[in-house]
Amino acid sequence: MPAIHDTRPIEDSVPKINDELAVGSDLQFQQRWEKLESIIWIFLFIFLLLSLAGLFGRGPLSNVTAQAPDASMQVDYERFERFSTPSVLTVRVNPASIKNGQLQLWVSDSLVKPLGNQRVIPQPERSELGAGGITYTFPAFESSASIEFQMQPSAIGKSELKMRIPGNSELDLNIYVMP
Amino acid sequence: MSGVIRAILGYYFLVFMMRIAGRRPGRQMAPVDFILVFFSGGLILTTTVGDDRSFVNAAAQIAAICAAHYMLVVLRSRYPAMGRIVDGTPLVLLEHGRWRHKVMESMLIEDADVMSSARDQGVENLEQIDYAILERNGQISVITKDSE
Repeated sequence: MPAIHDTRPIEDSVPKINDELAVGSDLQFQQRWEKLESIIWIFLFIFLLLSLAGLFGRGPLSNVTAQAPDASMQVDYERFERFSTPSVLTVRVNPASIKNGQLQLWVSDSLVKPLGNQRVIPQPERSELGAGGITYTFPAFESSASIEFQMQPSAIGKSELKMRIPGNSELDLNIYVMP
Repeated sequence: MSGVIRAILGYYFLVFMMRIAGRRPGRQMAPVDFILVFFSGGLILTTTVGDDRSFVNAAAQIAAICAAHYMLVVLRSRYPAMGRIVDGTPLVLLEHGRWRHKVMESMLIEDADVMSSARDQGVENLEQIDYAILERNGQISVITKDSE
């Protein structure tokens, strides 16, 4: 018994050019696609410019200095961070905030998660948990001091970071972590 | 973000970018096109792998990319419109001794590219060519006047 094969007749399914050569070309689609391509190139160019400017991190638009309302500290940080990418947040403290050879700094929980604090320089003498954050105590002399937090964000999106030297006003920072 | 999602996003992003970058790969790939492909691949690798160098992660990401690719191929074969979006459409570059110069300019193809493909098929000069077609896979097919 002969094998049965599923077959179908040949149809003129591939459009011809000049009624002789089956190419299957679609010039209308190609013209529409080229228009779309030029629009996409414009978007890519804008994306590139914004990227260079730092809207997605690592650029002039991203680097910000914020100051507490009572000038007790200044913070240099990146407003636009990148996911899982190291960055540094530097706190510069007004010498008047140093008391009895000690400097205390309270930082909200978001420093650890989602902003992924990896290291504090200099090493704090004490770290205490409480009041929705961590209070670091550093030995300090009565001259201006700076503290560096090395971070590596572990979540995408907006994070609010609050900082305060006890007895002084609070500094609120909004940090956006890019994917 | 999970490594699997990063791998799938990376795959589709590269498919999109390679489609937009103009000149099609395939047999027409010149050294400069290889740089685009391999450099882009290397860059996307840094974000897909991240700091997870485990075998499990690599296996999951390869499976994810294979699934993403299979889905694209199935969609392409079922829906002709999808095929046109992913691969484009064949384009006539030369027809009865005349160049379609606008098509060539838009596809960044030169006379020498057509002649290079023609030589592969034993054609000695452009006058012998009746049709030259840029295929979806990037190959240039040449139909000579004798073969009609």
